[in-house]
Amino acid sequence: MPIDFILAWRNIWRNRRRTLITVGGVLFAVVLSIFSQSLNRGSHEIMLDNMIRFGTGYLQLQDEAYRDEPSLDNSFTWEAATARRVAAAHPRTGQLLPRIETFMLAAGDQATRGSLVVGIDADAEQRFNGLTDRISAGRFFTPDKPEVVVGQGLARRLQLTTGDTLALIGQGRFGMSASGLFEIVGIIKHPLREQDDQIVYLPIDVARQLLSAEGQITTLLVAPERASETEAIATALRRTFKDDGIRVLTWPELMPELLNLLRLDMAGSYLLSGILYIVIGFGFYATVLTMTLERLREFGTLISLGMKRTRLIRVIFLETLSISLIGVAAGLTLAWLVLFYFRLYPIRLRGDLAATVIDMGWEPILPVSFAANIFFSQGVIVFVLALVISLYPLLKIIRLDILTAARS
Amino acid sequence: MKPVVMTENLGKVYNPGSIPVTALRNATITIDRGEFTTIVGPSGSGKTTLLNLLGGLDRPTSGSVCINGIDIATLKDPELIDFRLWNIGFVFQHYNLIPVFTARENVAFIMLLQHRNKQQIRERADQLLDEVGLSHRRDVRPAQLSGGEQQRVAVARALATEPKFIIADEPTANLDTAAAMNLLDIMERMNREKQITFVFSTHDQRVIERARRVITLVDGAIVTDRQHAS
Ligand SMILES: Nc1ncnc2c1ncn2[C@@H]1O[C@H](COP(=O)(O)OP(=O)(O)OP(=O)(O)O)[C@@H](O)[C@H]1O
Ligand SMILES: [Mg+2]
Repeated sequence: MPIDFILAWRNIWRNRRRTLITVGGVLFAVVLSIFSQSLNRGSHEIMLDNMIRFGTGYLQLQDEAYRDEPSLDNSFTWEAATARRVAAAHPRTGQLLPRIETFMLAAGDQATRGSLVVGIDADAEQRFNGLTDRISAGRFFTPDKPEVVVGQGLARRLQLTTGDTLALIGQGRFGMSASGLFEIVGIIKHPLREQDDQIVYLPIDVARQLLSAEGQITTLLVAPERASETEAIATALRRTFKDDGIRVLTWPELMPELLNLLRLDMAGSYLLSGILYIVIGFGFYATVLTMTLERLREFGTLISLGMKRTRLIRVIFLETLSISLIGVAAGLTLAWLVLFYFRLYPIRLRGDLAATVIDMGWEPILPVSFAANIFFSQGVIVFVLALVISLYPLLKIIRLDILTAARS
Repeated sequence: MKPVVMTENLGKVYNPGSIPVTALRNATITIDRGEFTTIVGPSGSGKTTLLNLLGGLDRPTSGSVCINGIDIATLKDPELIDFRLWNIGFVFQHYNLIPVFTARENVAFIMLLQHRNKQQIRERADQLLDEVGLSHRRDVRPAQLSGGEQQRVAVARALATEPKFIIADEPTANLDTAAAMNLLDIMERMNREKQITFVFSTHDQRVIERARRVITLVDGAIVTDRQHAS
């Protein structure tokens, strides 16, 4: 083993208690930071997962004008040939979910509301997100029949239920008037609260007919086999469709506002981590300070004998780094075990909070996140901390007068 | 043969704050290979100052020091550190061993700084500890060694780098008589057998008697420089 490492290692354990306290401090900060960030992130992940599954999908194809002007006039043609091109772009593009959607007035006997009318391929949706399992009354529609499934919230507002007739009135493609009567065959409890209040699902071909948009769709959702390949697939699709006037958007591009909100929501956790690390940093600094001051004479001897200052600095840095690495390694392990425990035995929510969560279609537990960068960032933070704290002995050694040190 | 150390009008003025202290003045000394020389004088007379200058631990404020033919004024600080490593051995009054290293590691460590072959380092460290009579204590840390034993490890460490000469500032000051005489025996033997030049300071009359040359300082000036008949 390199001698510098042996020297550093032995020095660390020169004062076992002090080192253990310092390591314990780092460990404590790491565990607490990870735990708070993980809980925070855990609920975000569930929220995003829902948004992706029932809202945006992992990535979408749209007409390039659709984003700025989401109208049926900016739809695009969906045919078997297009599907083949998508599949050919990347070996694992996964499932394709064509959707056609527009805003229309939905009317019952008693009331009229604005609604989001979405024509879907129910089988494809079911495979991707289990949509048809969310039915709370009735059944899902049969393809090609003038049947609709309505969000619970919307049904309540319209005072309609299964078996009732729903009138949809609005505009089709190119300003054609669109209206029709549909039987409500099912009520769905939509996991996205705002959609629950306005969604009307109907078979895609029925929707196209209603909207004078035969062969058209407004969005194609692509559900990659591996979510991690979203970016790669998007790149491949962009290349394939670069001359078709079609835009490829990934989920972070599709919901920037939500992502910003979630980032803001992390601020509390980051603040806690910041405070923890500042406190622990000062403790760590005190350790390094005494370790340095009580050894100035030894440093003087080493330099007198012929050890280069740079090499001595390396040894001291190794010491600080080792203490912090031990703390981080122990902290990461413990944090992982704690999180793993809470994944196996989750914290159950109670009372109103639980009711709200269940209402949104989620399990009433506090989810934990194992996102790698939560762990990774603690390592980086502590490394930087060690770096900064090593600055003190480093400066001391650079300026050390060996004769003064020898007399101390 | 070239002298090991040659100084010319060496002077040192310390200036902490504003009152200058002249610690050494006009010291012109030549030390030849194989000498066994002691620097003596009352407390504050400049012994440590002179030894520090001879060992390249400090720089003069006037005059010059040549060690092994090299004027140390021409060396930059990092070069001077390297120069010390390869040319000079040091023994300190307070032993100054590395507390976390065993006796053998203390001796081996300095050779590692010279990037010697590992096998050679190990053999040489063991051999040197044997020569100072500490084979049986080589895996023990300094805290478990007596003062005399620690200083013998320090001598082995000073010898390890194969320096031309060894500087020792009051090496026996913290030792009892038996340990001091034992250390002198070892130093004399190394001087005789390996032609290593020793320059050391002391207050101890019995130690002075064993030196072959005695340089006496008073108030920073050399007052006598006598060869002992040996
Ligand atoms: N770093 C320094 N700053 C200021 N003055 C110093 C310094 N080092 C030594 N001196 C002064 O220089 C003079 C010579 O000191 P030096 O240590 O060389 O004496 P010495 O002969 O070794 O004494 P001792 O026998 O007590 O070890 C003394 O007056 C001392 O106070
Ligand atoms: Mg002295």
